[in-house]
Amino acid sequence: MATWLRELRERLLQAGVAPRHVRRYLTELREHWTDLTAEEERAGRKPAEAEALALARLGKVDDLARTMMERPELRLVDGAGSMGSARRWSGAWAGSGVECGAADSVVGRHVVSGRFADALCSAPWVRDRLFRRGQGALLHRPLLTGWGMILLAARQRVQAVWPVILGSLVVALLGATGNVDVRPPSIPGDSGDVGIQFYPLLSQLPDSAGRALLLFVLVALPYLVWRWRSSPA
Amino acid sequence: MAQAMTPRETNPNFMNGVPELLILRLLEDAEMYGYEIVQAIRERTDAVIMVGEGVVYPVLHALERAGALRSRRKTVSGRSRIYYSVTMRGSRRLADLAAEWTSLAGAIQKTLAGGRYGDVVA
Repeated sequence: MATWLRELRERLLQAGVAPRHVRRYLTELREHWTDLTAEEERAGRKPAEAEALALARLGKVDDLARTMMERPELRLVDGAGSMGSARRWSGAWAGSGVECGAADSVVGRHVVSGRFADALCSAPWVRDRLFRRGQGALLHRPLLTGWGMILLAARQRVQAVWPVILGSLVVALLGATGNVDVRPPSIPGDSGDVGIQFYPLLSQLPDSAGRALLLFVLVALPYLVWRWRSSPA
Repeated sequence: MAQAMTPRETNPNFMNGVPELLILRLLEDAEMYGYEIVQAIRERTDAVIMVGEGVVYPVLHALERAGALRSRRKTVSGRSRIYYSVTMRGSRRLADLAAEWTSLAGAIQKTLAGGRYGDVVA
Protein backbone atom coordinates (compact mmCIF):
# COMPACT_ATOMS: atom_id res chain seq x y z
CA MET A 1 0.00 0.00 0.00
CA ALA A 2 1.30 3.48 -0.89
CA THR A 3 2.60 5.58 2.02
CA TRP A 4 -0.01 8.32 1.59
CA LEU A 5 -2.84 5.76 1.66
CA ARG A 6 -1.41 4.21 4.84
CA GLU A 7 -1.12 7.64 6.47
CA LEU A 8 -4.68 8.49 5.45
CA ARG A 9 -5.99 5.19 6.83
CA GLU A 10 -4.37 5.72 10.23
CA ARG A 11 -5.68 9.29 10.49
CA LEU A 12 -9.23 8.32 9.60
CA LEU A 13 -9.33 5.36 11.97
CA GLN A 14 -7.88 7.43 14.80
CA ALA A 15 -10.51 10.08 14.11
CA GLY A 16 -13.22 7.48 14.65
CA VAL A 17 -14.36 6.99 11.02
CA ALA A 18 -16.04 3.61 10.67
CA PRO A 19 -13.56 0.99 9.32
CA ARG A 20 -15.89 -0.06 6.49
CA HIS A 21 -16.02 3.54 5.19
CA VAL A 22 -12.24 3.85 5.54
CA ARG A 23 -11.70 0.59 3.65
CA ARG A 24 -13.99 1.59 0.81
CA TYR A 25 -12.61 5.15 0.64
CA LEU A 26 -9.07 3.80 0.26
CA THR A 27 -10.14 1.35 -2.44
CA GLU A 28 -11.90 4.12 -4.35
CA LEU A 29 -8.98 6.52 -4.03
CA ARG A 30 -6.51 3.88 -5.17
CA GLU A 31 -8.62 3.12 -8.25
CA HIS A 32 -9.12 6.83 -8.94
CA TRP A 33 -5.38 7.41 -8.67
CA THR A 34 -4.77 4.60 -11.19
CA ASP A 35 -7.29 6.19 -13.58
CA LEU A 36 -5.71 9.63 -13.25
CA THR A 37 -2.22 8.21 -13.74
CA ALA A 38 -3.37 6.46 -16.93
CA GLU A 39 -4.95 9.71 -18.10
CA GLU A 40 -1.71 11.64 -17.52
CA GLU A 41 0.30 8.93 -19.29
CA ARG A 42 -2.03 9.14 -22.28
CA ALA A 43 -1.27 12.86 -22.32
CA GLY A 44 2.41 11.98 -22.84
CA ARG A 45 3.82 12.17 -19.31
CA LYS A 46 6.42 9.74 -18.03
CA PRO A 47 5.14 7.21 -15.45
CA ALA A 48 6.76 8.85 -12.39
CA GLU A 49 5.60 12.31 -13.44
CA ALA A 50 2.12 10.98 -14.24
CA GLU A 51 1.84 9.41 -10.79
CA ALA A 52 2.87 12.62 -9.04
CA LEU A 53 0.46 14.73 -11.10
CA ALA A 54 -2.34 12.26 -10.48
CA LEU A 55 -1.71 12.46 -6.76
CA ALA A 56 -1.78 16.25 -6.86
CA ARG A 57 -5.13 16.15 -8.67
CA LEU A 58 -6.54 13.71 -6.17
CA GLY A 59 -5.79 16.04 -3.26
CA LYS A 60 -3.51 16.35 -0.26
CA VAL A 61 -3.81 13.81 2.53
CA ASP A 62 -4.89 16.66 4.85
CA ASP A 63 -7.82 17.58 2.58
CA LEU A 64 -8.78 13.96 1.90
CA ALA A 65 -8.82 13.23 5.63
CA ARG A 66 -10.61 16.45 6.62
CA THR A 67 -13.52 16.01 4.19
CA MET A 68 -14.16 12.52 5.52
CA MET A 69 -13.75 13.51 9.17
CA GLU A 70 -16.15 16.44 8.76
CA ARG A 71 -19.01 14.00 8.25
CA PRO A 72 -20.19 12.76 11.64
CA GLU A 73 -22.55 10.26 10.02
CA LEU A 74 -19.53 8.28 8.75
CA ARG A 75 -18.01 7.92 12.19
CA LEU A 76 -18.27 4.92 14.45
CA VAL A 77 -17.04 6.74 17.55
CA ASP A 78 -15.51 10.09 18.51
CA GLY A 79 -11.81 10.54 17.89
CA ALA A 80 -9.71 7.73 19.31
CA GLY A 81 -7.94 10.06 21.72
CA SER A 82 -11.02 11.84 23.04
CA MET A 83 -12.46 11.41 26.50
CA GLY A 84 -15.90 10.72 25.03
CA SER A 85 -14.48 7.83 23.06
CA ALA A 86 -12.58 6.46 26.06
CA ARG A 87 -15.71 6.58 28.21
CA ARG A 88 -17.74 4.93 25.47
CA TRP A 89 -15.22 2.11 25.05
CA SER A 90 -14.98 1.38 28.77
CA GLY A 91 -18.79 1.53 29.02
CA ALA A 92 -19.16 -0.84 26.10
CA TRP A 93 -16.75 -3.26 27.77
CA ALA A 94 -18.63 -3.35 31.04
CA GLY A 95 -21.98 -3.40 29.27
CA SER A 96 -21.08 -6.34 27.09
CA GLY A 97 -20.08 -8.40 30.16
CA VAL A 98 -23.35 -7.68 31.91
CA GLU A 99 -25.33 -8.32 28.74
CA CYS A 100 -23.68 -11.72 28.31
CA GLY A 101 -24.56 -12.67 31.87
CA ALA A 102 -28.13 -11.48 31.46
CA ALA A 103 -28.51 -13.31 28.16
CA ASP A 104 -27.20 -16.54 29.72
CA SER A 105 -29.62 -16.14 32.58
CA VAL A 106 -32.61 -15.52 30.32
CA VAL A 107 -31.76 -18.45 28.03
CA GLY A 108 -31.10 -20.68 31.03
CA ARG A 109 -34.43 -19.78 32.60
CA HIS A 110 -36.20 -20.59 29.37
CA VAL A 111 -34.51 -23.99 29.18
CA VAL A 112 -35.28 -25.09 32.74
CA SER A 113 -38.76 -23.57 32.90
CA GLY A 114 -40.04 -24.13 29.39
CA ARG A 115 -41.09 -27.16 27.46
CA PHE A 116 -37.52 -28.51 27.58
CA ALA A 117 -37.81 -28.98 31.34
CA ASP A 118 -39.56 -32.34 31.14
CA ALA A 119 -37.07 -33.60 28.58
CA LEU A 120 -34.21 -32.52 30.84
CA CYS A 121 -35.77 -34.41 33.77
CA SER A 122 -36.10 -37.59 31.80
CA ALA A 123 -32.50 -37.41 30.53
CA PRO A 124 -30.28 -36.47 33.48
CA TRP A 125 -27.05 -36.93 31.48
CA VAL A 126 -28.18 -34.27 28.99
CA ARG A 127 -29.03 -31.96 31.88
CA ASP A 128 -25.66 -32.48 33.57
CA ARG A 129 -23.83 -31.94 30.32
CA LEU A 130 -25.73 -28.72 29.60
CA PHE A 131 -25.05 -27.31 33.06
CA ARG A 132 -21.37 -28.23 32.88
CA ARG A 133 -21.18 -26.42 29.56
CA GLY A 134 -22.99 -23.44 31.10
CA GLN A 135 -20.43 -23.24 33.89
CA GLY A 136 -17.58 -23.50 31.37
CA ALA A 137 -19.12 -20.54 29.56
CA LEU A 138 -18.38 -18.45 32.64
CA LEU A 139 -14.69 -18.84 31.89
CA HIS A 140 -14.61 -18.57 28.11
CA ARG A 141 -17.39 -15.97 27.71
CA PRO A 142 -15.42 -13.14 29.42
CA LEU A 143 -12.38 -14.07 27.36
CA LEU A 144 -14.30 -13.99 24.09
CA THR A 145 -16.05 -10.75 25.09
CA GLY A 146 -12.77 -9.11 26.09
CA TRP A 147 -10.91 -10.25 22.99
CA GLY A 148 -13.78 -9.13 20.78
CA MET A 149 -13.71 -5.65 22.29
CA ILE A 150 -9.92 -5.50 22.02
CA LEU A 151 -10.14 -6.43 18.35
CA LEU A 152 -12.58 -3.56 17.82
CA ALA A 153 -10.35 -1.17 19.80
CA ALA A 154 -7.32 -2.17 17.73
CA ARG A 155 -9.27 -1.77 14.46
CA GLN A 156 -10.35 1.70 15.56
CA ARG A 157 -6.78 2.56 16.68
CA VAL A 158 -7.88 3.47 20.22
CA GLN A 159 -4.85 5.30 21.63
CA ALA A 160 -5.93 5.72 25.25
CA VAL A 161 -4.79 2.71 27.29
CA TRP A 162 -6.90 3.28 30.40
CA PRO A 163 -10.31 2.38 28.92
CA VAL A 164 -8.88 -0.92 27.72
CA ILE A 165 -7.27 -1.67 31.10
CA LEU A 166 -10.40 -0.61 32.98
CA GLY A 167 -12.67 -2.52 30.61
CA SER A 168 -10.52 -5.66 30.86
CA LEU A 169 -10.61 -5.37 34.65
CA VAL A 170 -14.40 -5.10 34.67
CA VAL A 171 -14.76 -8.07 32.32
CA ALA A 172 -12.32 -10.10 34.45
CA LEU A 173 -14.15 -9.24 37.68
CA LEU A 174 -17.55 -10.04 36.19
CA GLY A 175 -16.23 -13.32 34.84
CA ALA A 176 -14.47 -14.29 38.06
CA THR A 177 -17.21 -13.37 40.52
CA GLY A 178 -20.13 -14.67 38.49
CA ASN A 179 -21.79 -17.70 40.01
CA VAL A 180 -24.47 -19.68 38.25
CA ASP A 181 -27.21 -20.70 40.62
CA VAL A 182 -29.06 -23.60 38.99
CA ARG A 183 -32.16 -25.29 40.30
CA PRO A 184 -33.08 -27.90 37.72
CA PRO A 185 -36.57 -29.39 37.68
CA SER A 186 -36.61 -32.55 39.79
CA ILE A 187 -39.89 -34.05 38.67
CA PRO A 188 -41.65 -33.84 35.31
CA GLY A 189 -44.12 -30.94 35.19
CA ASP A 190 -42.07 -28.91 37.65
CA SER A 191 -40.00 -25.95 36.57
CA GLY A 192 -36.44 -25.06 37.53
CA ASP A 193 -34.63 -21.80 37.88
CA VAL A 194 -31.35 -20.27 36.77
CA GLY A 195 -29.77 -17.14 38.17
CA ILE A 196 -26.38 -15.46 38.01
CA GLN A 197 -24.86 -13.76 41.01
CA PHE A 198 -21.96 -11.37 40.58
CA TYR A 199 -20.40 -11.59 44.02
CA PRO A 200 -18.09 -14.24 45.43
CA LEU A 201 -18.77 -16.14 48.59
CA LEU A 202 -16.21 -15.38 51.28
CA SER A 203 -14.86 -18.91 51.11
CA GLN A 204 -14.39 -18.57 47.34
CA LEU A 205 -12.58 -15.23 47.55
CA PRO A 206 -9.00 -16.49 46.90
CA ASP A 207 -10.28 -18.67 44.08
CA SER A 208 -12.20 -15.74 42.52
CA ALA A 209 -9.22 -13.38 42.89
CA GLY A 210 -6.94 -15.86 41.13
CA ARG A 211 -9.47 -16.34 38.36
CA ALA A 212 -9.91 -12.57 37.99
CA LEU A 213 -6.16 -12.09 37.68
CA LEU A 214 -5.91 -14.87 35.11
CA LEU A 215 -8.80 -13.45 33.07
CA PHE A 216 -7.39 -9.92 33.28
CA VAL A 217 -3.98 -11.02 32.02
CA LEU A 218 -5.47 -13.14 29.24
CA VAL A 219 -7.83 -10.36 28.11
CA ALA A 220 -5.45 -7.38 28.33
CA LEU A 221 -2.25 -9.10 27.18
CA PRO A 222 -3.03 -9.20 23.42
CA TYR A 223 -3.85 -5.47 23.48
CA LEU A 224 -0.68 -4.57 25.37
CA VAL A 225 1.42 -6.67 22.96
CA TRP A 226 -0.27 -4.97 20.00
CA ARG A 227 0.39 -1.50 21.50
CA TRP A 228 4.02 -2.38 22.19
CA ARG A 229 4.57 -3.70 18.66
CA SER A 230 2.79 -0.79 16.94
CA SER A 231 4.40 1.97 19.02
CA PRO A 232 7.07 3.94 17.14
CA ALA A 233 10.63 2.91 18.00
CA MET B 1 -47.80 47.94 11.03
CA ALA B 2 -44.60 46.05 11.15
CA GLN B 3 -44.69 42.82 9.18
CA ALA B 4 -44.07 39.71 11.26
CA MET B 5 -40.60 38.38 10.51
CA THR B 6 -40.43 34.64 10.05
CA PRO B 7 -37.08 33.00 10.65
CA ARG B 8 -35.45 31.90 7.40
CA GLU B 9 -32.60 29.56 6.78
CA THR B 10 -29.44 31.40 5.85
CA ASN B 11 -27.01 30.45 3.07
CA PRO B 12 -23.72 30.38 4.99
CA ASN B 13 -21.84 29.06 2.03
CA PHE B 14 -23.09 29.38 -1.52
CA MET B 15 -21.22 26.28 -2.59
CA ASN B 16 -22.72 24.23 0.19
CA GLY B 17 -24.68 21.35 -1.29
CA VAL B 18 -23.45 21.93 -4.87
CA PRO B 19 -21.46 18.68 -5.16
CA GLU B 20 -24.43 16.81 -3.69
CA LEU B 21 -26.83 18.38 -6.17
CA LEU B 22 -24.58 17.72 -9.16
CA ILE B 23 -23.87 14.14 -8.12
CA LEU B 24 -27.55 13.32 -7.65
CA ARG B 25 -28.40 14.89 -11.01
CA LEU B 26 -25.68 12.96 -12.85
CA LEU B 27 -26.51 9.67 -11.21
CA GLU B 28 -30.17 10.03 -12.05
CA ASP B 29 -29.22 9.53 -15.71
CA ALA B 30 -26.88 6.58 -15.23
CA GLU B 31 -24.95 4.72 -12.58
CA MET B 32 -21.33 5.80 -12.32
CA TYR B 33 -18.20 5.34 -10.25
CA GLY B 34 -16.20 8.14 -8.64
CA TYR B 35 -13.77 8.88 -11.47
CA GLU B 36 -16.61 9.01 -14.01
CA ILE B 37 -18.59 11.37 -11.79
CA VAL B 38 -15.71 13.84 -11.50
CA GLN B 39 -15.12 13.71 -15.27
CA ALA B 40 -18.82 14.24 -15.96
CA ILE B 41 -19.02 17.24 -13.62
CA ARG B 42 -16.04 18.82 -15.36
CA GLU B 43 -17.49 18.22 -18.82
CA ARG B 44 -21.06 19.28 -18.10
CA THR B 45 -20.07 22.47 -16.31
CA ASP B 46 -17.37 23.34 -18.85
CA ALA B 47 -14.84 23.10 -16.01
CA VAL B 48 -16.51 26.05 -14.23
CA ILE B 49 -17.20 23.84 -11.25
CA MET B 50 -14.20 21.77 -10.25
CA VAL B 51 -14.73 19.50 -7.29
CA GLY B 52 -11.67 18.05 -5.55
CA GLU B 53 -11.20 14.68 -7.21
CA GLY B 54 -10.76 12.77 -3.97
CA VAL B 55 -13.29 14.64 -1.89
CA VAL B 56 -16.20 13.41 -3.99
CA TYR B 57 -16.16 10.10 -2.09
CA PRO B 58 -17.15 11.36 1.36
CA VAL B 59 -20.17 12.99 -0.33
CA LEU B 60 -21.04 9.69 -2.02
CA HIS B 61 -20.68 7.74 1.25
CA ALA B 62 -22.81 10.25 3.14
CA LEU B 63 -25.52 10.21 0.46
CA GLU B 64 -25.57 6.43 0.53
CA ARG B 65 -25.81 6.42 4.30
CA ALA B 66 -28.73 8.84 4.05
CA GLY B 67 -30.45 6.39 1.69
CA ALA B 68 -30.21 8.72 -1.33
CA LEU B 69 -27.80 6.44 -3.20
CA ARG B 70 -27.10 2.74 -3.44
CA SER B 71 -23.80 1.19 -4.42
CA ARG B 72 -22.64 -2.05 -5.95
CA ARG B 73 -19.20 -3.41 -6.63
CA LYS B 74 -18.42 -4.49 -10.18
CA THR B 75 -15.25 -5.87 -11.65
CA VAL B 76 -14.62 -4.29 -15.05
CA SER B 77 -11.50 -5.33 -17.03
CA GLY B 78 -9.93 -6.66 -13.85
CA ARG B 79 -10.57 -3.40 -11.95
CA SER B 80 -12.80 -3.24 -8.90
CA ARG B 81 -15.32 -0.43 -9.39
CA ILE B 82 -17.95 0.80 -6.97
CA TYR B 83 -20.91 2.06 -8.94
CA TYR B 84 -23.48 4.42 -7.41
CA SER B 85 -27.09 4.95 -8.46
CA VAL B 86 -29.98 7.06 -7.16
CA THR B 87 -32.74 5.65 -4.98
CA MET B 88 -36.33 6.93 -4.73
CA ARG B 89 -35.32 8.94 -1.69
CA GLY B 90 -32.42 10.36 -3.68
CA SER B 91 -34.78 11.47 -6.46
CA ARG B 92 -36.94 13.31 -3.93
CA ARG B 93 -33.87 14.94 -2.42
CA LEU B 94 -32.70 15.97 -5.88
CA ALA B 95 -36.08 17.61 -6.58
CA ASP B 96 -35.89 19.55 -3.29
CA LEU B 97 -32.30 20.65 -3.84
CA ALA B 98 -32.95 21.62 -7.46
CA ALA B 99 -35.95 23.76 -6.44
CA GLU B 100 -33.89 25.42 -3.74
CA TRP B 101 -31.03 26.19 -6.11
CA THR B 102 -33.30 27.40 -8.90
CA SER B 103 -34.89 29.82 -6.47
CA LEU B 104 -31.52 30.99 -5.15
CA ALA B 105 -30.04 31.37 -8.63
CA GLY B 106 -33.14 33.32 -9.74
CA ALA B 107 -32.79 35.68 -6.80
CA ILE B 108 -29.11 36.29 -7.53
CA GLN B 109 -29.78 36.79 -11.24
CA LYS B 110 -32.48 39.39 -10.53
CA THR B 111 -30.26 41.18 -8.05
CA LEU B 112 -27.49 41.34 -10.61
CA ALA B 113 -29.98 42.65 -13.20
CA GLY B 114 -30.92 45.47 -10.80
CA GLY B 115 -34.46 44.34 -9.99
CA ARG B 116 -36.03 42.93 -6.84
CA TYR B 117 -36.67 39.31 -6.16
CA GLY B 118 -40.16 38.55 -7.43
CA ASP B 119 -40.14 41.17 -10.23
CA VAL B 120 -40.73 39.96 -13.76
CA VAL B 121 -37.57 40.31 -15.79
CA ALA B 122 -37.87 40.32 -19.57
